Amino acid sequence: MHLCTEAHLNYLYIDLYVHIKVRKHITQFNSCEETCLVGPEFCLRGKPSVSCSIEVPYIKSVMAVSLSYDLLLLLVISSLDWSSTPGSAFLTDHNRMTSSGRSEKKQQKRERATPVEPHFTECMSRDLETFRCWWSPGTFHNLSSPEELRVFYLKRNSPSSEWKECPEYSHLNRECFFDANHTSIWIPYCLQLRGQNNITYFNEDDCFSVENIVRPDPPVSLNWTLLIVSPSGLSYDVMVSWEPPPSADVSTGWMRIEYEIQYRERNATTWEALETQPHTQQTIYGLQAGTEYEVHIRTKMKGFPKFGDFSDSIFVKVTEIPLRESAVLLTLVLTFGVAGILILIMLIVVSHQQRLMMILLPPVPAPKIKGIDSELLKKGKLEELDFILNGGGLGGLPTYISDYYQDEPWVEFIEVDEEDADCGEKEDQKSSDTQRLLGLPQRSVGCFSADSHPDDDSGRASCYDTDLSEQDTHLLAASLLPGQPEDEEAFLHPDEKAPASETNKSPLIQTESEGKPTWINTDLYAQVSNVMPSGGVVLSPGQQLRIQENTEKESQKKGTLGEDTSKLNKPQFQLLVVDPDGSGYTSEITARQISTPPSSLVPGEGYQTIYPQPMETKPAAPSEPNQSPYILPDSPQTRLFAPVADYTVVQELDTHQSLLLNLPTQQPPPPCLPQHPLKAPVAIGYVTPDLLGNLSS
Amino acid sequence: LPGLDPLSAVWVGIICLVFSSRLSTMKAASICPNDQTGCHLLPLANLFDRVIQHSARMHGISDDLHSEFELYFLPSKNQIGRVSRNCHTSTILTPNGKENAQRIAREELAEIILKLLVAWRDPLWHFHQSMSQHDEFTNFSSNKSLEMSDMVHELRKGVLKVVEKMQMLGIISNSVGDTGSPEALLTSDSAEWRFMKDYDLLYCFRRDSNKIQNYLKILKCRIVPKHGC
Repeated sequence: MHLCTEAHLNYLYIDLYVHIKVRKHITQFNSCEETCLVGPEFCLRGKPSVSCSIEVPYIKSVMAVSLSYDLLLLLVISSLDWSSTPGSAFLTDHNRMTSSGRSEKKQQKRERATPVEPHFTECMSRDLETFRCWWSPGTFHNLSSPEELRVFYLKRNSPSSEWKECPEYSHLNRECFFDANHTSIWIPYCLQLRGQNNITYFNEDDCFSVENIVRPDPPVSLNWTLLIVSPSGLSYDVMVSWEPPPSADVSTGWMRIEYEIQYRERNATTWEALETQPHTQQTIYGLQAGTEYEVHIRTKMKGFPKFGDFSDSIFVKVTEIPLRESAVLLTLVLTFGVAGILILIMLIVVSHQQRLMMILLPPVPAPKIKGIDSELLKKGKLEELDFILNGGGLGGLPTYISDYYQDEPWVEFIEVDEEDADCGEKEDQKSSDTQRLLGLPQRSVGCFSADSHPDDDSGRASCYDTDLSEQDTHLLAASLLPGQPEDEEAFLHPDEKAPASETNKSPLIQTESEGKPTWINTDLYAQVSNVMPSGGVVLSPGQQLRIQENTEKESQKKGTLGEDTSKLNKPQFQLLVVDPDGSGYTSEITARQISTPPSSLVPGEGYQTIYPQPMETKPAAPSEPNQSPYILPDSPQTRLFAPVADYTVVQELDTHQSLLLNLPTQQPPPPCLPQHPLKAPVAIGYVTPDLLGNLSS
Repeated sequence: LPGLDPLSAVWVGIICLVFSSRLSTMKAASICPNDQTGCHLLPLANLFDRVIQHSARMHGISDDLHSEFELYFLPSKNQIGRVSRNCHTSTILTPNGKENAQRIAREELAEIILKLLVAWRDPLWHFHQSMSQHDEFTNFSSNKSLEMSDMVHELRKGVLKVVEKMQMLGIISNSVGDTGSPEALLTSDSAEWRFMKDYDLLYCFRRDSNKIQNYLKILKCRIVPKHGC
């Protein structure tokens, strides 16, 4: 909104955004569209769809008034000078309003409401070349004859134009016709009626331009053709075509016309309208067979709002074709059947998804090893796998050690399998499982070919291979069996028996009793005779021998890492203490320290489980960092003459079928060791690999 | 190019040559191979159609804006009567009827169209400026006014192209000069449009856009009548 300060403005434009009901001598109205009845076309705009205006002379501003200003408005209104005549603002309302249907209503209302003066009812052009206007004489003038009213028009194409009289009257119709010579497009015309005595009835609203009042004629020659019928035969499409109105000059492009089709069923009341389009044919879709339809068309100028009259109606009807129904039914049944079957299949598939997946895509068998997460079998986790396999945890597998210590040939593993039987030709049945298990040197010397044992990993040496590894294993085995009192023999091979060539690989074991190998008592059960104040436990007096032997060996072991094992050490006994708090297993180190000749010392029959037992402590050896502190007792003092053990182990069956509880200690170790590699300690898991490692280091 | 070995460069060169030769031949080849009588007018008819569509759209926008303007401002009733005095394009003599439009020479008609288009270039631009300053107007209106002002520009260029084509085809003489200098045309009226109110401007433009649309259509149907009249 802006302030119009031009001098030639002498009207007030009031723009009201609020619905107002104004009474008094102003006709009541509800909305601007309905009742612009008042003489000076006074109207307050309630809804922003139609514009009306009021005129107040001599005021020169535009205002926007809100509801709170309605009183002010009333004052203003009351002071209005109703200067404009209550003529028909018909033509201008035609121009401005978007729907042309209301104009007739207004006109009627106007006529009914108040006594009106002669005014123009309508001006219309059909072809943009001529136009005509109709007037009505009004109600309160008693005109003797229609000719008394004269029409004058003004063409405002120049400032100095004058009012001219209508070029062609048709008093019968009260119509004034302007032919082509008197018609100019794009130029405003103003019309007025003059009665007798130069009474002029002029409404300034009756000014218009011809292009704005064009209402083209309806099209002609309507006809329709059947386009297509649906497969069910129930609906069809129809193409309606027509000719443009002859009065409208479309061919020269002077008029550009749009058409609007409307159709309805024969007995319906409302019409269906399709979108206006400029072509002379259009398709109506979806008509029902068997129903008659009525179709008519109207036109309008492109870019202008006014429609012309409707054309004459044509009737469209297509009869049904009942024969197709069966086919339709059949197709319907088939379709639904197929759909139902598909749904069933889908349901089955969905419900048995798992099984179907198993059938269609069977799972790939993955390697499964007990105790090993198959994750580890993936790339890059070989070390962990090795670690686990080789005894990283306590749940190691039996075969892991062989892989772990493959490059340490002094490690030999117990292998208990049926193939040992063939080796046992010379063995008598006296060889017990324990002996076999421990790989103790059998009494029978034979059968020690490495060939009899196909297991490559065992690293078996030949029978006469006095590899110290055998000794180690024997040691191992021996250590695991708690020794019998008094019956220990150094389990270790006397060192002189080991050829120097082999000793390089086993740097550790210095356990060499000088010709006096003592057996380690392979007693699995031992009685604790005494508990040392240092924490060691004296198992039985017989063990002390061993202890003494191993003591020296232990110290030797500590000092001669990697040294040649040809050194002979005094056999010493060593008290082995298996730390109960630790792994509870005797370390292999300690086991090896305990030198026992691989004689025919046979532990008691039966397979004795080796379980951790607190054993004598190893004296004065630098203790292992974690487990099995070895405390070597002072040899003489700790010698205890233990009482006889409450239990003992049958070592061997004599030739006379008598039980040998304690094997003689002087028994020379057989030259050959059984080829049973000792595997038990590690396999059973009693020895921790770090102790093994200590051994090896 | 670093990665381009000579062989591929040769291939690329060959392909480029082939395409360029094809393109040049395509330029030379016209739409009318047999050179039929009406065939060479087809592109002109297409041009006309596009221009007429453009002008129709322009008229539509101006109509929308005009009615929207009436919602915000209630003009007085005799605005219609008074406007004709104020339209700055009133000085341009335009045919006001069908016979006049058909009788007038084609060149003159084209020239009138161009004059009209030129005359509205500045006023519409200023109208858009003033519109955008008013807060009451929605963005919709502001966009429309900008679109309108652009369309006048585009339409003028299009009509110039059509005129060129017609001159090239020999349909009209070369007397239709370049009417691109608005100052020469509107010496007397140059300032008048500034005093017009916005509403009057819109009304005038609505009328003039209808004129332009009509004239273009008449021109087309006079020159290429067989192509959709």
